[in-house]
Amino acid sequence: MTIFKVAAVLLTGFFVGLTLEGIARKIIARVQRRYGPPWYQNFIDVFKALSKHGFSHGWIFDFGVLMALGGVIATLSFVPLGNLVAFPGLDNVFVVLYLFAVGALGMAMGMVGSGNPNASIGVARALTQMLGYEVPYLVSLAAIIFYYKTSSISNLMNLQADSWNLFKMPIGAAVAFISLMGMLGKKPFDTPIAPAEIASGPMVELSSKYMGLLMLMHTFSIFVEISLFVDIFLGGGSYLVFLLKFTVVWIIATLISAVLPRFRIEQVVKFYWRVPLGLAFLQAFFVLIGWVF
Amino acid sequence: MGEVKLFFGPNHPGMHGNFSVHLYVEGDTVVKAKPLPGFLHRGFEKLMERRTWFQNVALIPRICVPEPDINEVCYSMAIEKIAKIDVPERAQWIRMIVLELARIANHLWSFAGIGGPLGLYTGPFWGVADRDRILDIFEQLTGARIYHMYIIPGGVRKEMPSKIQDMISQTLDYIESRLPDYENLILRNRIVQTRLKGIALLDRESALTMGVTGIGLRATGVPYDLRKVDPYLYYNYVDFEVPTATEGDAYSRIKLKYLEIKQSIRIIRQVLEKMPEGPINTKFSDGNALRYRVPKGYAYVHVEATRGEYGYFVVSNGEDKPYRVTVRGASYPQGLYGIEKYLPGTRIEDVPIWLDTMGVCAPEIDR
Repeated sequence: MTIFKVAAVLLTGFFVGLTLEGIARKIIARVQRRYGPPWYQNFIDVFKALSKHGFSHGWIFDFGVLMALGGVIATLSFVPLGNLVAFPGLDNVFVVLYLFAVGALGMAMGMVGSGNPNASIGVARALTQMLGYEVPYLVSLAAIIFYYKTSSISNLMNLQADSWNLFKMPIGAAVAFISLMGMLGKKPFDTPIAPAEIASGPMVELSSKYMGLLMLMHTFSIFVEISLFVDIFLGGGSYLVFLLKFTVVWIIATLISAVLPRFRIEQVVKFYWRVPLGLAFLQAFFVLIGWVF
Repeated sequence: MGEVKLFFGPNHPGMHGNFSVHLYVEGDTVVKAKPLPGFLHRGFEKLMERRTWFQNVALIPRICVPEPDINEVCYSMAIEKIAKIDVPERAQWIRMIVLELARIANHLWSFAGIGGPLGLYTGPFWGVADRDRILDIFEQLTGARIYHMYIIPGGVRKEMPSKIQDMISQTLDYIESRLPDYENLILRNRIVQTRLKGIALLDRESALTMGVTGIGLRATGVPYDLRKVDPYLYYNYVDFEVPTATEGDAYSRIKLKYLEIKQSIRIIRQVLEKMPEGPINTKFSDGNALRYRVPKGYAYVHVEATRGEYGYFVVSNGEDKPYRVTVRGASYPQGLYGIEKYLPGTRIEDVPIWLDTMGVCAPEIDR
């Protein structure tokens, strides 16, 4: 049974993730007063890229790309999608956070292996940015874990049955959402891939299959990140309700990113460690003294 | 991390046009920058010496892609000055309309240009789409969208179509209605301010020493605008202001571009009111225009382009071809000396901002 559930989770990640990315492109197009590609454009992109003959930059490069995709797929299978939980009892916040690092490190290793200075700068920026958003995010998660005395995502979801964490701990939810924007690489936090500066950074040497695999990796990571936010802050519910909440969060993030430019990398870290980190500590303090709505 | 050499252009999303800067970076900081022009070198100035006076009319717009009309005006005014040709009044007013429309189009494109380096991709799409409306006017007026070849020695090529004035007024109204959107999206955007304020600084002394003109100089507080300082055409008959700023940074330059669009709209409206009826060009050569010979002499004429002073020095030895033509590209000083002198010490992120707000235009350097 578990294997079917894992398959269902991964297929959801694939189809819903790519569809919503296509819809996001359409939404951004409308903000920019143009028509935009069809909603299924990302499927076309991925299948086309995967069907072409690629160019490798050595085995570290190959291994890094596979590690990135594998790591993210492994992470996704542990994330509960509403009431669809592939590994009940193992869907822990820490499991997800640690497994998620495997994908990021795989990507870093592979892209640096390509030998392009733009890729190295991009990876350095991505890891620096991670340092920026992880700290406030973890502080706000720690407050929640402390409050509910559990780190199981399913339990956290079930415990929000009366009121969502979004309303119980609004400051923490805001911090998590700002961190989520950084995780998704949405503007103003798309510094690691900044096309005008470092020619798309990590992706600069990717061709065909490698690009396809990384696009899939990106889709799955988006799915993991938003699912985690939805599960922890927007309460539980059935599979379909979960997907609805997921879509709303994704569209809000897309709309915000459509009208903002990007920060410089040191501005990213400065921002995260000043505003969201301060707010996260404030929320943690409120939880400690019992001020929870 | 040691020093890494980064090829910034010619194939780089942050680069406008065929131009390259070799950056030596340590981490994200530029240690040394070396501009490498020459990718677009067609030898415009030399080519002009091999073509007759009127054949050159088709060649010169290519020197500046975003704003080709300044070339036509400069070249025509130089010939008119040497040959002492009187240009009909109406033609001069039409030239002003063309120049100001081109200025608006170029500034809108500049909003598009700043969107790329900042990652604000809504700017490019809005800017280019709105600029397209001005290109529509040009198409109606001249038959071409980019390279018009409309302004010729002695006047302009054709009379304006009958309904073009309404079209211009409507487009101006539309662009004016869009300006608050641009202000909200770009100028009042908090992150844009964080990215641009205090970045790509150029102080007044350096600007004057290097020979930077236009917005680069006006952003340092010097109200140097040729339309006021040395009025050409009928700029002394219209009311407009020259916006200046004192900060000398990238943000003030973008803001000046925004304010200049308003002034250009104001100028065009006045021109449409004041423009008299009458002939649109002077017939000054009998028979075949291609055999026309400009009398011996020389002249320097300059106009205010969006990037600064744009000038033509034309020498004629009485032949059917120019003896020598020199073009003063408006972005030449900041494009070559500025990059070498001011990019070291900045960050990679700020390199495209310098290139864009300074209006570095590769063909002007490669002419």
